[in-house]
Amino acid sequence: MFKHLFKLIWNKRRQNFLFLSEILVSFLVIFAVFSFLTYYYQNYSKPLGFDYKRVWCINYDNGELTKNNDSLKIFYDNLQKALKSMPQIEEVAYSGANYPYSDSFSSTGLTQNGKKFDYIANYTVGTDYKKVWNVPLLEGRWFLPEDAVSNNKNIVINETLKKQLFGHAQATGKLIGNYDEKEKLKVIGVVQDIKASGDFLPAGSAIFNPIDTAFHKYTHNILIKVREGADATFESQLYKFMANTVKNAVEIQHLNEMRDSKNKQTIIPMVIFIIIASFLVINVALGLFGVLWYNINKRKGEIGLRRAIGASGRSVSYQLVMEAVILATISLMVGCFFAIQFPLLGVFNIPTSAYIIAMLLSVAFIYVLVLLCSFYPGKQAAGIHPAVALHEE
Amino acid sequence: MIRLQNIEKVYRTDTVETLAINGISLDVAKGEFLSIMGPSGCGKSTLLNIMGLLDEPSKGNIKIDEQDISRFSDQKLAKFRNQKLGFIFQSYHLINDLRVLDNVELPLLYRNSSAKERKILATAALEKVGLSNRLKHFPTQLSGGQRQRVAIARAIVGNPQIILADEPTGNLDSAMGNEIMDILINLNKNEGTTIVMVTHDESMAHKTHRLVRLFDGSQFNNQKLC
Repeated sequence: MFKHLFKLIWNKRRQNFLFLSEILVSFLVIFAVFSFLTYYYQNYSKPLGFDYKRVWCINYDNGELTKNNDSLKIFYDNLQKALKSMPQIEEVAYSGANYPYSDSFSSTGLTQNGKKFDYIANYTVGTDYKKVWNVPLLEGRWFLPEDAVSNNKNIVINETLKKQLFGHAQATGKLIGNYDEKEKLKVIGVVQDIKASGDFLPAGSAIFNPIDTAFHKYTHNILIKVREGADATFESQLYKFMANTVKNAVEIQHLNEMRDSKNKQTIIPMVIFIIIASFLVINVALGLFGVLWYNINKRKGEIGLRRAIGASGRSVSYQLVMEAVILATISLMVGCFFAIQFPLLGVFNIPTSAYIIAMLLSVAFIYVLVLLCSFYPGKQAAGIHPAVALHEE
Repeated sequence: MIRLQNIEKVYRTDTVETLAINGISLDVAKGEFLSIMGPSGCGKSTLLNIMGLLDEPSKGNIKIDEQDISRFSDQKLAKFRNQKLGFIFQSYHLINDLRVLDNVELPLLYRNSSAKERKILATAALEKVGLSNRLKHFPTQLSGGQRQRVAIARAIVGNPQIILADEPTGNLDSAMGNEIMDILINLNKNEGTTIVMVTHDESMAHKTHRLVRLFDGSQFNNQKLC
């Protein structure tokens, strides 16, 4: 029967072109949707790597502060002590502008055994940064105040970068070159990956550098972890304190709000994409239903004949559903050929596993769609009275 | 071979009831070539459809090959039609998207015959009707007479005991009609196939063993011819 159906489909390839095209376009759109959904889900299911709750960020303009680095260091040490002495504040750490959920991004490159590694997130952090975020340490240690004056430039790397550079081997104590290999950096610890760009985006590779005296003139972000019960009144006091201290503009942001905003940057375009794709799928489903329905009406004579020569109602229905399934399979084979190019070419930096899962989900989705759209017309065809169908022809 | 007992067929719509066949009883013997004639709308094709199990009578009984088919399921009816009956229609009912050979193979598809067996039987059937040189043609590339011969090949490929022909020469000129009639007569004579043929053509009807005339859904004449 399959060979017979293939012959019938091949001989009617021109008439089937619309059906094939509809399925192909739907598959590619669904594949795109599922690829992103799978990618986001895979990222979402990984641990966040840090605790953003009760973390606030004080951004201030440091233009009015002294330009002398040594004076600045004293100023910042005193400021940190003053903040930490407030009963509502648990931890305080200085940070570069690219702290988690901020819109800033700083990247660098590293060299290991002659191989260059690019686009590594580069965080410049204070000694208590780990305490503020409660980042789990996987290996080695975090920065101590003396690291700022160490002979080697000490760095902490994240888990992803460790795997890229050293695989499963120990990273602590190893030296790696900076981008042009002019300077050696010593790995003193490895921390868990932190998803700094939101729940749905990958952590990526990252290094952490300690803030040294020279960096103070660029420092205008203080991360604080407040205690339970730190409210708007305290925030107002804190604001006044900071404004008096830096004598310039101050802004306090809550990291949970920044996280929500960051996640929305992923969710909203995805929701729009899903809505558009859903409309397309509904149209395609109606189109498929219409094409199958039209085919049945056009092929009433053939259906009557098949019934006359020995086909039962069920086998007529089966034949029509199978024709739709075979057509869908042909389209899906073409679709998969295009889809497989995405992981092969590494487009959009989405992992291969996400593409493969998306491809399988899309294939299943299209088969379900085709079965749903062909089931009712097939059932109607089974109910066609052979004598009436032959007479109409 | 075929026994119809007091067959009635009523077509009902919301407002109208039409009596298409009114109490026809008819026996067709094994190996007989029977023709049915009558004016348009007298119920000839309806009667043939009932004999071919394509339509159900509103009343009455039908037995084919001593089997009462009134309680057959759809599945069993389909199998019965496939094994016992062959159909020839006025408008051929060939599938234009399939080649001649594939059209003739169709009844064998529903018997789960192997591809090889289907091809051998279909080629032999086409040889019988003189179309062995047209296996790869599409129906649209053939003349009316050739198409009807393909339809005959399709009807005989499964070696049925009964062939039901609904105006098989109706769309053909007299020369082609005679050719088709000769094939049917040969089938009846040489293979012993029982044939029931509906026709409008008196000369064709007179080539058969018996002629039944219908009028307004009733049988009014049953004439033995040879």
